[in-house]
Amino acid sequence: MIKLLFFGALADKVGKQSMQAEAGQRLQDLIVAVGCADMQPLLVAVNQEQVHDLAYIVKDGDEVALMPPFAGG
Amino acid sequence: MNNTVRIQQEDFSLQAEVDALRAVSKRIGGIATFLGCARDFSEGRDVFSIHFEQYAGMAESAMQALHDEAMAKFDILAVRMLHRVTTVHAGEKIVLIVVGAEHRKPAFEACEWLIDELKKRVPIWKKETTPNGDSWVIQHP
Repeated sequence: MIKLLFFGALADKVGKQSMQAEAGQRLQDLIVAVGCADMQPLLVAVNQEQVHDLAYIVKDGDEVALMPPFAGG
Repeated sequence: MNNTVRIQQEDFSLQAEVDALRAVSKRIGGIATFLGCARDFSEGRDVFSIHFEQYAGMAESAMQALHDEAMAKFDILAVRMLHRVTTVHAGEKIVLIVVGAEHRKPAFEACEWLIDELKKRVPIWKKETTPNGDSWVIQHP
């Protein structure tokens, strides 16, 4: 299993801030499965490091964050 | 207070942070600061308050990485960076960058670079409360 985190407007869209998901799937498929494919631009982090290769296959124990563009400051 | 890079709920003292930076080295001859505050008007509408949210852990790491990069990239002697993550009202302080250098030019350059990169690279988001409801803010250039 992996831990999936949602932030900002993405958390509002999916109605939760975190959930569990199955390991062994590509990030791009995970994004579609949780209904966030139309939320572009979308930033992704795996284990707190931003990733750009959405073909990455999530592994057991990964923490995946789906994030809108940052807006601090 | 002793940490040079912090994300916190509490308000902060600009004077205390500048003093802490000055204490790092007597070679510091120029200090540049950027203080970001909450505006009461944005995108053509009143704003009552702004709520900040972070990706805890990643946000601190990203800010620390910016600190370290700035120290390597510019001819500077010390940096302090703070960002509040809480609900702030119009006029209240949000973010502070303080940079000390021997001379003013690298201090100004590093300060501008740090706030620009913070906006791009630190996972923090803000939701504004307006008379028409709440809305997440799209990144400002």
